[in-house]
Amino acid sequence: MMLSGFIDGAVVYGPGIGSWEAFCALIDGAQWTSTADWQPEPQCLPSRQAKRLSPAIRLALAAAEQIAPLLPPDAGWVFASSTGEGETLNVILKALCTPEMLVQPLRFQNAVHNAAAGQWSIAAGLTGPMTCIAGFDQTVGCGFLKAAMQVKLEARPVGLVLYDVPMPVPLDEKRPLDLPFAAALAISPSASSGTSLPFDCVSSYGPVTPPASEIGDVLCRTRNPVARCVPLLELLATGSVGTVTLGLHGGAALDVRIGRP
Amino acid sequence: MTQPDAHTELPLKITAYSAVTCLGRDRAAHVEALKSGRSGLAVCEYPDVPFDCYVGQVTGIENDPFPSQHSAFDNRANRLAMAGLTSDDFAEAVATKIARYGAQRVGLVIGTSTSGVERLEAAYRSRQEDDPLPAEYSLRHHNDYQAVAAFLQDYLRIEGPSYTVSTACSSSAKAIVDAGQLIQAGICDAVLAGGVDSLCLISLCGFEALQLVSRKPCRPCDVNRDGLSIGEGAAFVLLERDASEGVRLSGAGESSDGFNMSTPPEDGAGAQRAMRTALKHARLRPEDIGYVNLHGTATPINDAVECAVVADTLGTEVPVSSLKGAVGHTLGAAGAVEAVLCLIALEEGIVPGNTGLETLDPRIACAVSSAPQKRKYHHSLSNAFGFGGNNCSLVLSLT
Repeated sequence: MMLSGFIDGAVVYGPGIGSWEAFCALIDGAQWTSTADWQPEPQCLPSRQAKRLSPAIRLALAAAEQIAPLLPPDAGWVFASSTGEGETLNVILKALCTPEMLVQPLRFQNAVHNAAAGQWSIAAGLTGPMTCIAGFDQTVGCGFLKAAMQVKLEARPVGLVLYDVPMPVPLDEKRPLDLPFAAALAISPSASSGTSLPFDCVSSYGPVTPPASEIGDVLCRTRNPVARCVPLLELLATGSVGTVTLGLHGGAALDVRIGRP
Repeated sequence: MTQPDAHTELPLKITAYSAVTCLGRDRAAHVEALKSGRSGLAVCEYPDVPFDCYVGQVTGIENDPFPSQHSAFDNRANRLAMAGLTSDDFAEAVATKIARYGAQRVGLVIGTSTSGVERLEAAYRSRQEDDPLPAEYSLRHHNDYQAVAAFLQDYLRIEGPSYTVSTACSSSAKAIVDAGQLIQAGICDAVLAGGVDSLCLISLCGFEALQLVSRKPCRPCDVNRDGLSIGEGAAFVLLERDASEGVRLSGAGESSDGFNMSTPPEDGAGAQRAMRTALKHARLRPEDIGYVNLHGTATPINDAVECAVVADTLGTEVPVSSLKGAVGHTLGAAGAVEAVLCLIALEEGIVPGNTGLETLDPRIACAVSSAPQKRKYHHSLSNAFGFGGNNCSLVLSLT
């Protein structure tokens, strides 16, 4: 069996990258300006409610809601994040250092790795399968592999949301990543529009494709593992036919071949 | 939208399995416990827990030898994983598959909710406020979600895809689903799937904060049930494409509630969708299921909702029980731990009892199996539901 499907659209979201169009302009050499106090602003929740959620959840929600119009209500969703809820973890760990060891209940239920996926399913009223993947620096390859398997084997469109935010002090020293960054793809078993790009993927062991653009290099240097999807996004942005090799663990990799619409 | 019937066209045989829980560390101990209906729950002696409760602790794990070449990965979760590898020669079974198919054709999917976070808890609690973490603490080897899969991959020398599924208490049931997909997709010829979660202060104090921890050994389905008992464990299955006789994964169903982070909707619609999808996927009728392993956490709301859904989906005749009175709620490991116990029960012809049950909740309409019974059957359905309204049902079969 060959894993194959169609990529119906992509989203990129982060500081100074508000939309797919903005990302495409950056690939073409537009100037990137990132502000340190940038905050993700999902629209699917009232802002007061959103403010109570972690930066990781808000980032994932903002990416998910932008790709959602390309997906049916019963789509599957794959949320992939290496670090998950670092901020909430830190708050809980600090609470466990106090004599009372009292954990806030809402903090605890939002500490799980699938907090973002759960909040997204609640905000959007989704009832299909949601899978949450982690794979350290290879989270992008692992997440894409899972999404591609689900598209093919369940004959079901899948929203893939890749997201990671910097860890708070003191965890940041142990897992340094300098920029919040998210990407999302709408993937389906059959072409949904004239702009859907066919793809197939096979396991390989080749070297991972490096970014081709200057902005791609910059994003990869932030050490955010989500930036490892940039070579794939570059291919989608330019509409070219080509192959991108995404890394997996153990020396394995995934060759993703993008064809013509 | 339906899932395809690929599982039935391409049987996924479970060629080896292992489980390590508070009941014991090998198959024989779990056979004995399933036959006797004994509980492994005991008064919590896990260090620094600021309230009284019962836990399903794997005792002595901290004194086990840990492979020195992999000492960077030494934490409680990986110690449980190591115990799972040595249990019933599971590591040898994996080595056999690597020799047969090649290391690049063997994959690994692990479900965990907290990974090796207990080492990070200790690091936080031993530092002065605002100090950095100790230089020797490695996030990648301990609290990173991939830390258990990374250890297993290094130790077993698996070179195929390896990743972690973390959807709270459904994590390792979904890891088994993904393992099947890696084989169906032709990416792997054999996949080690499973779940590992250790006791840790975050889980214990977190569930306590939600007022969900019982002061007694938990009593699923009991009229006086008042919360869960947390457990720990490791369980692995080795999946292969193989049509010969034995136990197999014959169906799976996944869904979301889209309702609340920690409470299911009253109608249990999400749980029902997962169970119906799993049944359809396995091409079985409701009456084909011989035993239902409830998620059965022993919280007042969860058991009532789940039993109502089971009665509606599979009828009120099929025996059901929760294994959590025996092993506790092993959280991210629960899906795999309980799937392995279901496999043992299938092979041994045991309908497991509902350990801890004294007086059945009269609102529960299911045929709760209060004590273990001897009975041959061919298919069981095992539920795992997690925070975020994340549901997964597996159908396990014996040919």
